[in-house]
Amino acid sequence: MMLETLRRLRAQLDWPVFIPLGLLVLIGLVNLYSATRVAPQGLFVQQLWWYAIGSVLFIAAAAVDYRILQRHAWTLYIVLVLLLVFVLLGGKTVNGSRRWIGIGSFGGQPSELMKIGIILALARLFSGDPLDLELRPLRYALLWHLVLGVPALLILKQPDLGTALICTLVAATMLVCVRLRPAVKAAVAAVDLSAAALVFLFGLKAYQKKRLLTFLNPAIDPTGAGWHARQALFAIGSGQWFGKGYLRGTQNQLQFLPEHWTDFPFAVWAEEWGLVGCLVLLLAYLLLLLWALSLSSEARDRFARNLTLGCTALLFWHIVVNIAMVSGMIPVVGVTLPLISYGGTSLLTVLITLGLLMNVSIRRYSY
Amino acid sequence: MSWRCKRLPLEVHEAGAARVSLVDRLRGRGATPAGQQQPDPTVRWGSYLILLTFLILAARLFQLQILSGEEYYRRSTDNFVKELDRPAVRGQIRDRHGRVLAENRPSYSVYVTPRYLTPEALERLRKLLALSDEQFAALKRRIEAKRGLDRYRALLAVEDIDRDKMAMLESEKLDLPGVDVEVRAHRSYPTGLAAHAIGHLNMISAEELPQRLADGYHPGDYVGRMGLERLYESRLRGQAGFEKIIVDARGQRKPNSELLSLIGGELRRDPVPGANLILTLDLDLQRILQQALARHHSAAAVVVEVDTGRVLALGSHPSFDPNQLTGRLTQKEAQRLEADPFRPLVDKVLRETYFPGSTFKIVPTLAALEDRLINPDERIPCHGRFELGRRVFHCMKVHGPVNLHEALVQSCNIYFYHLAEKVGLERMTRMARQFGFGSPTRIGLSEAAGFLPTLDFYRQRGGFRVGYALNTALGQGDVKVTVLQLAMAYAALANGGRLYQPLLVERIEDPSGRVLEQVEPTLRGHLNVSPESLERLRRALQGVVNDQKGTSYSARIEGLDVAGKSGTAQVGKNRKGESSGWNVHNDHAWFAGFAPSRHARIAVAVLVEHGGLGGHVAAPTAMQIIQGYFQQVAPEQRPLALDPTKPRMLGPMPAASGVH
Repeated sequence: MMLETLRRLRAQLDWPVFIPLGLLVLIGLVNLYSATRVAPQGLFVQQLWWYAIGSVLFIAAAAVDYRILQRHAWTLYIVLVLLLVFVLLGGKTVNGSRRWIGIGSFGGQPSELMKIGIILALARLFSGDPLDLELRPLRYALLWHLVLGVPALLILKQPDLGTALICTLVAATMLVCVRLRPAVKAAVAAVDLSAAALVFLFGLKAYQKKRLLTFLNPAIDPTGAGWHARQALFAIGSGQWFGKGYLRGTQNQLQFLPEHWTDFPFAVWAEEWGLVGCLVLLLAYLLLLLWALSLSSEARDRFARNLTLGCTALLFWHIVVNIAMVSGMIPVVGVTLPLISYGGTSLLTVLITLGLLMNVSIRRYSY
Repeated sequence: MSWRCKRLPLEVHEAGAARVSLVDRLRGRGATPAGQQQPDPTVRWGSYLILLTFLILAARLFQLQILSGEEYYRRSTDNFVKELDRPAVRGQIRDRHGRVLAENRPSYSVYVTPRYLTPEALERLRKLLALSDEQFAALKRRIEAKRGLDRYRALLAVEDIDRDKMAMLESEKLDLPGVDVEVRAHRSYPTGLAAHAIGHLNMISAEELPQRLADGYHPGDYVGRMGLERLYESRLRGQAGFEKIIVDARGQRKPNSELLSLIGGELRRDPVPGANLILTLDLDLQRILQQALARHHSAAAVVVEVDTGRVLALGSHPSFDPNQLTGRLTQKEAQRLEADPFRPLVDKVLRETYFPGSTFKIVPTLAALEDRLINPDERIPCHGRFELGRRVFHCMKVHGPVNLHEALVQSCNIYFYHLAEKVGLERMTRMARQFGFGSPTRIGLSEAAGFLPTLDFYRQRGGFRVGYALNTALGQGDVKVTVLQLAMAYAALANGGRLYQPLLVERIEDPSGRVLEQVEPTLRGHLNVSPESLERLRRALQGVVNDQKGTSYSARIEGLDVAGKSGTAQVGKNRKGESSGWNVHNDHAWFAGFAPSRHARIAVAVLVEHGGLGGHVAAPTAMQIIQGYFQQVAPEQRPLALDPTKPRMLGPMPAASGVH
């Protein structure tokens, strides 16, 4: 298998994709060094360790034939759901929410890996006979709800609004992309959205809504909610064309930015490198996403196609939600920026996602 | 759906089949798996969506970084550049001999940083500072209200603690995490004397801060609230300096940060200390005056230098403690001061007006003499009553026949009713204006103008009657004067007719003692009267004190040469007020005069509210002040006339010199 993988790598891998990918890794590390220079010490070195572990997982995710993953998709999914239940019962509480389990000295967040679990499960679900999808759309719509709903509710319970949101967005994207009758998709969207709206508008009283919002997002101080977001805007805006210079971002170095190594590293980058730096970063992401998306058109089977679309959606929503949040376009939710944010499990998830994309990429053609 | 994974057959592509470009793949022209004949629209639309989203993100960044970049840059700079105030030392206020009336002492204030403060430390703080339950609860509320980064900022817990408590806090510093003691200059009035004139400070209020920001005031600054502290606020205050430092989000200072170069402009400026005021007041005389007033419920007095208009002492009794009003006034104390029937907060020298009573008789006297309307030696019988139409005016007693001199000495009202009939209101008003009545003295502090009734005034009020003129001649009716106006008028009488502007400030110095401004005596006007008339009046006033029949003879102090006039001003009988051992229907007692009676040095005016007879109540107080002046303050000025071996000039002017 090893030899085969190497052969495939040489012949079929899209080597150019490593240019944006390498650039992103580089930016991520350079930026993390600046972001953690003053306060939490040692994160940079820890991130390097995470990269070491992640590289192994990346290669593994790329090497193992995705059809093996397809076969074991449900098992993986169920194991991850059980892990989530375990976290709720006995996990560590960080920042007011239970989402960690300890593995030695490293902590891990199963909810991050759950995203991949959901992608695999849905890819598997919709990889069946197209005729079946055509004939029994309701059954698939129902199963889609189940696959998303169970882990999403468990994650909400932690509570981790950001991850639950990403899971929902990714699952929704996958649903949109599968060959299900458009009428069914429309019905699902209409029913789900109106149900959510009804629950929020009439099922809850005003104080419950407020409490719910605070509960779902404990990192936000109810009295100083706007403060964090404003500081991030000051950081981004003050970068202007070319930024204040590396290691010279005042918002960053003087710690006016909250959680600037996990949720707000984009603000650090924007402050120190300006619009030019931001556009470079956006371009790298754009190339990566387009590459990932393009894979789906060449995927060899429906599972691969679904898997590619799910992974692309995962990266896309992480990037868009994070940047939109940091630049004040949407409320603050805890969503990381792939390859730029610090975070062990988050980085592993991204690297596994990329590995899966590589997996599909090198198995486009067979010999 | 089956749980069993069916292995899909692998479609076989040619190895090395033509690589398809990314763009082609996105357009759906890639090598599609067999069985999918038509290109996949998902990829095409997906790539459009991604592009569009990224364009929106880029546009947002353009808006933030380029369109609003300047603004955000400024705001991020405001974030980390903290301007430390370097307060200027407020100027001192000293008396004419340089003795301190207002200075600055170190004051210790306790600050707490909620983030570092432990419950034990808070409890310990409460014990050490002996906080009341109410104070403690308020402090606790304020601490608990802080959220987020505000918890890293120190807040003022208790202001101006005493040295002992400060020492205790310092010694237990290790057990008091999050507690800091800061020293700051606090205004102090070591004597508390002349409180109304000097005034006090107060913390700037939130409402007035916006208007004062331009002048460099900050929250927590003190501002002059009254008297000279208020009038000379800009001179006393000096100019605060500043120092720009770099702080992080917790407000912690980052010295020598390379970011310092990001701050434009001046990095620090030294404060300019405020100027010192050297007053005309004499601390000793001030003390004597206030002690003399303290015998009464409510009184006011002022001493001015006859030849310059400089105020040597002035006081309104009861007074207040300016130290208390500067920062540490409790609500209860404030209410007590407000409710006090003797009105300690009112400056009765400058801001309150009274009927001058008989002290005003100098005005009709001079008006009559100047226009030669009377023969000063002609005697007019006093039967104790004077009839004008159906109205009857009374005298204090039956004086028998009196001439001008005797009428003044004995304060016969009947004589003055006759005189007033001849002089008329208009002449009196004109003369009174020359004395400065009815208009502000221009001392600079806020003062009342008093009131002089005119014919027009009465016509508007429903018609003039002669009775008004009679009342005016006696300093009743509608004439109102301030204590200071009266003193300035008597000073003019004593110095040959020069009406001075009263002065409180002699000079302004910088902290090194260099004179910035010397205040010279300023004339307000001249009495347009002949020296003979003045001399005649002066002798009469001398008689008031020194003649056995004089109204103030009982107050005379042997060896003290004083001329003056007592007054007993009736107050409206409709006044309501709680008495508290004080008869508010009683007349106001006045004494105004000067000493020595010839070549006078000082003029004095004393008012005792509801004190009764001027000669019996106000005159002794005036004598006490004058005696204090010549014995303790300026013994070298003791008049030669005090020499008992020399004959005293007594009695009226010889008739021969009288002018008819």
